Amino acid sequence: MRVMWLVASNTFKETVRNKVLYNILLVAAVVLLLAMSFGDLSVMSRVQVMSDFGLATMSLTGLLLAVFIGVGVLGAEIADKTVYGVLCKPVDRFQFIIGKFLGLFVTLGINFILIALVFIAAITVMTTRAPQAAIFSAVFLLMVEMSVIIAAAIMWSCFTTPTLAAIFTLSFYVAGHLNDLITLSADVQTNPFLKAVLVALHYILPNLEYFNIRTQVVFGLPIADGHVMFAALYGLLYTAVLLLISSILFERKDL
Amino acid sequence: MNILSVNGITKVYRRGFRAVRVTAVEGVSFALAENRITGFVGPNGAGKTTTIKMAMGLVRPTSGGVTLMGAAAEVPASRAGVSYVSEQPYFYKHLTVGETVDFSARLIGVKQASVSAERKRVLGAVELTGREGSKVRSLSKGLQQRLNMACGLLGDPKLLIFDEPMSGLDPPSRRLFRGLFKKLGDEGRTIFFSTHVLEDIEAVCRDVVVLDGGKLRFTGSVSSLLSKGALGTEFVVPSLPDKLAEELRAEGGEVAQAPDGGGVALLIPPQKDATEYQRKLYENGVFCVSIRKRTMPLESLLYGGGGGGAGGAKEGAL
Repeated sequence: MRVMWLVASNTFKETVRNKVLYNILLVAAVVLLLAMSFGDLSVMSRVQVMSDFGLATMSLTGLLLAVFIGVGVLGAEIADKTVYGVLCKPVDRFQFIIGKFLGLFVTLGINFILIALVFIAAITVMTTRAPQAAIFSAVFLLMVEMSVIIAAAIMWSCFTTPTLAAIFTLSFYVAGHLNDLITLSADVQTNPFLKAVLVALHYILPNLEYFNIRTQVVFGLPIADGHVMFAALYGLLYTAVLLLISSILFERKDL
Repeated sequence: MNILSVNGITKVYRRGFRAVRVTAVEGVSFALAENRITGFVGPNGAGKTTTIKMAMGLVRPTSGGVTLMGAAAEVPASRAGVSYVSEQPYFYKHLTVGETVDFSARLIGVKQASVSAERKRVLGAVELTGREGSKVRSLSKGLQQRLNMACGLLGDPKLLIFDEPMSGLDPPSRRLFRGLFKKLGDEGRTIFFSTHVLEDIEAVCRDVVVLDGGKLRFTGSVSSLLSKGALGTEFVVPSLPDKLAEELRAEGGEVAQAPDGGGVALLIPPQKDATEYQRKLYENGVFCVSIRKRTMPLESLLYGGGGGGAGGAKEGAL
C-alpha cells in the first residue's frame, strides 16, 4: 500500500506539472463559455444547451486527458527508463501499475471536479435555479468512464508505443460508445462466424453508453432505478479487469 | 552463501518486423561471494548491461535463472538490500534533488523520521550537500550521476550493482567514486560493477567476470586473471657482460634496455626458476637494482594489443 501511494503521489506531482493538462482545461473553459452564448441561438432552453454542451465537453476533456496524459504517464516512464529507479527496488510491478493509475485518476478527477464546479456554477448563475440532481449523477458516471479509459490507456502502453497506445485508446473509446451498434449488427448478421465475432466483440468491449445519461439530464427524463449504481459497478469491474491485464502484460515486459 | 548467482542465463531478443533472433547473452554462469568487489568487464555489446538487468529483474532470461540474496531475481523481495546504479542517471525531471533522494529512500522502506538524516548522509557522501532544492534537470550529467550514486547508497545495501557508473565522469568525480568503492568495500559490502576502464578494475577489484560476445570468458580473482598473462620475472641490473648476456639469451631470457634507460632489463620466462638466474647474476658479480614480476596489463590480456614485456605487443591471453 505504501509503495502504491508513493508511486501515486509521484504521478500526481508529475501530471499536475504537465502543460498538456492546462491546455486541455483552457479548451474546456472556452467551450463552456461558448455554450453560454449558444443557449440564445438554440430552440432548446439555455439550461438544456448548457447541460448538453457541458457534459459533452467534460466527456471529451476526460478522453483527451486520459489519452494524452494517461498514455504518456507509463509510456514515457518506459521510454525514458525512469521506471528503473522504482522497479530496481523491492517493488512489485502490479503495485507500480496501480500506483500510476491512482495518481493519474486523482489528477484527472480533481480537474474533472473543477470543470464540473465551473459548469454547475455557470448553470446556476445563468438560470438562477439550483441544478437538478441528475447532473451530479451524470458527472459521477463520466468520472467512472474516465477510470475505464485511463485503465485502457495504461494497458495499451504496456505493450506498444505511446503513439499507437493513443490511437488504440481513442479507438477503444469510439468502439465502446458504438457497442450497441455492434449488438444490432450481430442480430441482423446471417453468417454464423461473423455473428460469433460480433457477439464476442460486444462482450469484450465495454459499453461506454452505460455512462452516458446526457439525454436524460438535458430533457429531464427519468433515469432507470439502480442504473447509476449498476453502471458504476460495471465501470469498476472493467477498470479492475483492464488493470489486471496491464499488470500481467507489464510483469512479462522486458524493460 | 553466494549473494548473486547467475545460472546459465541466455537472453534472446526478437528484433524488427521479422522478429530476427539476436542473442545478447548465452549460457553465462558466475557467482559473487560476499564482501568482495567484483569487476564486470567486456567490450561494448558484450552483454554486461543485459546480464545486470536480468539480475535486477528488469529483463527476463530466455533460459537459466538468477538468484539474488538467495531468492529468484524475479521476486521483488530479493531486491531488498540490493542497490543498483545505472550507467545513465534516469530521474523524474519534475523533482528536486532532495525529493528524488526522499522518494528513493521511502521506496526502499526508510522510515519517515530517518529520511532527512539519510538524505543528508548520502548527499554528503557524493559532495552534493546544499543542492537539495535544485531541480534534477538543472544538474550537469556528472552531478546527476553523483545523485544516482547517492540514491544507491541509501539504506544499508549489502550488494551494490553499478553499471558503468564512472562513464563520462570528470577526473574529480572518478576519484570520488573510486574512493567510495574502496570505502564501501572496507565496510564489507559486496560490490559488482561493470566498466570499460580496466585501470578501475586493477585499482579496486579483487575478483573479475569477463564477458565477450555474450559469453563468459573468465571468472575468478584479478590476480589469477593476471597470472594468465604472466610474462616472467624482470631483473634490472646496471650492466650485463656480453658473454653472460649471450648465455642468458640462450637459456630463454630476454635482455633489453631498461624502460627508464637506467641499465639493462633481463626478463626470465615464468616457467623458469628466477632464483637460479638471480644466483647466476650474483656469481658473475652483477647486482640487481630491482626485481619484479611482470604481467601483461589487463587491457592487453583481455583485448590483445601492446603492453607486453621485452617482447612488446601480444594477443589477448583469454
